[in-house]
Amino acid sequence: MSMAVVAQLFVDGLAMGLVYVLLASGFNLIVDISGVLFIAYGQFYMIGAYTLYVLMVMLKLPFFVSLAVATIVSALLGGAIYRLVFHRIRAMDRQFLNGIVAAVGLMLLIGQAVLLAFGTASRGVGTAFKGMLKLGGVNLSVEKLVLIALGVAVLLFLHVILQKTNVGRAMRAVSFNPDVSELQGINSNRVYLLAMAIGCGLAGFSGGIMAPIFAVYPEMGAIALLILLVVMLGGIGSMTGAILAGLILGATLSFGQYFFGSGLAQILFFAVVGVILFVRPGGLLGEDTEIQI
Amino acid sequence: MVNNPYYIHLLIMVGMNAVLAMTFLLLLRTGLITIAIAGFWGVGAYASALLSVKLGLWVWLALPTSAFISAIVGLVIGLLLIKKGGIGFVMLTLVFGFIVVLVFGTFEAFGGYTGIYDIPPPEAIRLPFFGLVEFTSKTPFYYLMLFLVSLVVLVFNAFYASWTGRAWRAIGQGPRLAESLGVSIFQYRLLAFVIAAAAAGLMGSFFAHYYGSIVPATFGPQKTIYVHVYAILGGIEYAFTGPLVGSLVMIVAPELLRIAKEVEPIFTGLLVILLVMFLPDGLLGLIGHSRPSGPAENLSRVARWVKEAFTRGKSASQG
Repeated sequence: MSMAVVAQLFVDGLAMGLVYVLLASGFNLIVDISGVLFIAYGQFYMIGAYTLYVLMVMLKLPFFVSLAVATIVSALLGGAIYRLVFHRIRAMDRQFLNGIVAAVGLMLLIGQAVLLAFGTASRGVGTAFKGMLKLGGVNLSVEKLVLIALGVAVLLFLHVILQKTNVGRAMRAVSFNPDVSELQGINSNRVYLLAMAIGCGLAGFSGGIMAPIFAVYPEMGAIALLILLVVMLGGIGSMTGAILAGLILGATLSFGQYFFGSGLAQILFFAVVGVILFVRPGGLLGEDTEIQI
Repeated sequence: MVNNPYYIHLLIMVGMNAVLAMTFLLLLRTGLITIAIAGFWGVGAYASALLSVKLGLWVWLALPTSAFISAIVGLVIGLLLIKKGGIGFVMLTLVFGFIVVLVFGTFEAFGGYTGIYDIPPPEAIRLPFFGLVEFTSKTPFYYLMLFLVSLVVLVFNAFYASWTGRAWRAIGQGPRLAESLGVSIFQYRLLAFVIAAAAAGLMGSFFAHYYGSIVPATFGPQKTIYVHVYAILGGIEYAFTGPLVGSLVMIVAPELLRIAKEVEPIFTGLLVILLVMFLPDGLLGLIGHSRPSGPAENLSRVARWVKEAFTRGKSASQG
């Protein structure tokens, strides 16, 4: 097996893995801080991709502008949905289960709305970064390298926000203990909304960067359950865990697909996840907890 | 309306999904949230399909056998997963849900992603009162589903009303306390899990012989999440009427209101969101709940509530 192939698989795995990491991070934020098991999350991934499609293909706007708009649109929509729906559900006894139901309703609604607007055919978005880069005799596609660069940049940005800014500190405080945070003067409702907006923005961003590489199609939202699994694998509340888990998924699928074919590669992934969760039910870097119904 | 085959089909679907929702509530009562329901539904469907297509087994034998096979799989999975408890259990059932679909889809022995087709319907049987009943239209399937639903309700209710049911409730509401009273959490949860698997498998078997063909994608975790919604919308305090009402509303309401096919998921999604926002205790929360009651009593309560709603409406329009 040549170096070229290994490098190719590595880049593919890294690119895919980063997208999963971005999605997992966003989902992590929503589940951990806003406290919603947001099954509709995948629809924001789809919204980001379709927004990019509309802006780049129909309106012929440049890539980075379209990407920024896609991210902002997803974030705003996510925030609005939190305020309209989940803010009210949070006050209920059965907020966990009811939140899931609301998320399913949203999933149906958004999914069908996009389907009606754009039809069932998958759309292609021409890539803004054509060509290949030759590094030491290995062919790497530029667009995947750009994706990796963008992904890493956003992750670093997210890390800085969470760790260094007041907003980030507030979010971490609320996820740790909402009541004490309120006593410290943190408006937890605003934090919940913000976490959801950022999380959905991340999903939209991921959809946006993925759109030129893979086609844009209505079923993109189905990725949500897989992302749930990735987040659980990493451990809820652990960003590092989400990163690890996302990269594991990307690597397993990339290398597994080459050696075993896509079907067995997926089974392999789930078997690996099953074993890891079996041995560490809280995920790689999380803690196991009893769920409140 | 009663003779319209499409409505009969919808009622059959309501029955089947209601049973699946009942299994969710069964496990929820013991404090477990499962995402494995569609997986066992699939195990039952595939077992029955393979038994009748590849081995030529009589469908009437395949039905209980598949339920039994599903129970065995439930036993194995339960032995592995139940000890984990909490979030770990939920996630592992999700993994199980994914793996089931992948296994059925990847291996040609299970028909691959194109699935299994030409699954035979139940053989014609001679019933004492009705003579020869052939499964060529939807109506006999409807009565079979009615029978199976009643069977599941009777069996579940028997368990709920017994000491086992009380142990389940105790485990669900206070595991530590139950444990200290000498109730083995693991064994009772395992029992619930196996029973749930058997019921789901039975429904899967029916599904295979009713539809005549099955594909792996039907049995994924997405389906389980929908089942959760049916149960929660109905009201999780109501083990039997909840699932029935939830499934009925979500499956039949769009039809009754003549919602166009393209817009239907939007309507359903909106309905679900509104219902959960304004009825946090589920639809049956409307009829009130002072003490635990059995399915018969709940059904009569619903009937009374509906009747009162009609007479109130009538007097309002007449007064």
